[in-house]
Amino acid sequence: MNVGLEHYLVVSAVLFALGLLGVVTRRNILVIYMSLELMLNAANLALVAFSRFNNNLDGQVMVFFIITVAAAEVAVGLALIVALYRRRQTTHVEDLNLLKH
Amino acid sequence: MNVLILKHEITLLLLALGVMLADLWLPPERKRGLGYLASAGVGAILICSLLTSVPESPFAFRQMYVLDGMALFFKRFFLVATILVLLMAVEFSDRIQAGISEYYSLILFASAGMMFAASANDFALLFVALELITVTFYVLVSFQRGRATSLEAGVKYLIIGALSSAFMVFGIAFIFGTSGSFNFGDIAAKLASPEAGLVNNKLFLFGLLFLLVGLGFKIAAVPFQIWAPDVYQGAPTPTTAFLAVGSKAAGMVLLMRVLFVAVPEVTAQWWKLLVVISALTILYGNLCALPQTNIKRLLGYSSISHAGYLLLGIAAATTAGQSAVLYYLSGYLFTVLAAFVVIVLVLRDTGAEEISSLAGLHQRSPLLAAAMTISMVSLAGIPPLAGFFGKLLLIKSALVVGAEHQSFYWLVGIAVVGVVISLAYYLGVVRAIYWGGEAAEKSAVTLSLPATLTVAACLVGILFIGIYPNPLMKAAEAAVLSFK
Repeated sequence: MNVGLEHYLVVSAVLFALGLLGVVTRRNILVIYMSLELMLNAANLALVAFSRFNNNLDGQVMVFFIITVAAAEVAVGLALIVALYRRRQTTHVEDLNLLKH
Repeated sequence: MNVLILKHEITLLLLALGVMLADLWLPPERKRGLGYLASAGVGAILICSLLTSVPESPFAFRQMYVLDGMALFFKRFFLVATILVLLMAVEFSDRIQAGISEYYSLILFASAGMMFAASANDFALLFVALELITVTFYVLVSFQRGRATSLEAGVKYLIIGALSSAFMVFGIAFIFGTSGSFNFGDIAAKLASPEAGLVNNKLFLFGLLFLLVGLGFKIAAVPFQIWAPDVYQGAPTPTTAFLAVGSKAAGMVLLMRVLFVAVPEVTAQWWKLLVVISALTILYGNLCALPQTNIKRLLGYSSISHAGYLLLGIAAATTAGQSAVLYYLSGYLFTVLAAFVVIVLVLRDTGAEEISSLAGLHQRSPLLAAAMTISMVSLAGIPPLAGFFGKLLLIKSALVVGAEHQSFYWLVGIAVVGVVISLAYYLGVVRAIYWGGEAAEKSAVTLSLPATLTVAACLVGILFIGIYPNPLMKAAEAAVLSFK
């Protein structure tokens, strides 16, 4: 079987949908955060596939930017989740209910 | 290539790093004053930017970065906002337990991100600039680590922010895949040529839609507004102010660049979508603001409704509409910052951010009571203040387009209904100040000189923009014309 651009895009779309499903259905902030990373990597896969099949390296350069930014985001995000755990002893979204009118 | 074209951003970043380093050597009691130094530094950059004109070759880094009239207008806008927010942060510093210098330098980093966003002419720079703003704001929002509400706001902003950037990146991937470029100019050229068929390419339009999700989150437009009230309420007040002004304006300038520089053909097709989003945002923001009792949450909903008014100008897609957006944002800058400065100065006890705790403010500090009143009246859009002319220009631009597309008349009707609804809650704040009964705390509010100057600067801004709209209108129009 010849693997073409569409196959990569379908995998990427499936990964993105799985990530989105995780964000919507999961209740643990850490798992939600993992699902968000999955969504970012779905985009990376699509970029690399487009880059390969269009013979244009710009897409792969963009992937490096995305990986770097995602690393910074994870560093800040995990620090924030740890700080929340220390203060509230929870990582569940249901417990985030202080801010209401 | 001329690197000096980036001189404002480079100096701002050096200033931010300098503030961070100064933290190592300064004794703790002098760290608070670092904010004055930082805002003076930003003031110097602002003066430098006022002396800068658009260079002959405005592009840098293979056209990733552009310094046109629009970029310069927004750079000045962000610098003014940063100065006022830094002064506000100094007044707020007693409520931040540790790391006040980092707070200042993070504000500067976020500001640098906004300046890059103003100049973005490429999806890669757009993404990196937006993420610089967003990631800095994750920290700024949750900076009061001792307060559970601040942390909760931070985590909510984190999850929704990361979700929206995932959507945006996925969108960018498909835009790149179908158009073969990240550059706004290249994409526009490809769109304009009919043989490429990009206008009808489903994957391209799908990518663009996902990108708009990310930008819609930044400006808090319906249906991506869900985070705004919680984050506005929980974040430290200077952060909320910066979020309301800087982050929203950065989203707006990127939205305008993408819609009018990169994909004008698609924008011409999608005006109905923009009209619907604008109408829903105006209605949602104003209706939900009605029952609020927390002043910061109220301003959160109010900022959603203002995003709706701004989208009205973007949906109109004319020069008049775009310059009205710039004018409106400038008036909004001074108006909202005035309100937040008063909140910082009066509501020192963080548990009491209720509107009712403003009662009797006119006895405790006539200046602050007047500032809050003028700010609320300007937000509601009563003449002759800045907010009124902004709304007038936006509605006028929409009415002109209404001759062509009837639905703009409906949108204007909804905007007017929104203004009427908003009068109720804005004037509710004014009523709480003057007729809210006895103040729980009767002591006069003591104001430092810089605090008085900050309030005065905001008031002068609101009144000047409202009474002499011409200079700003000319500047906004010149900026819009230069970017076409």
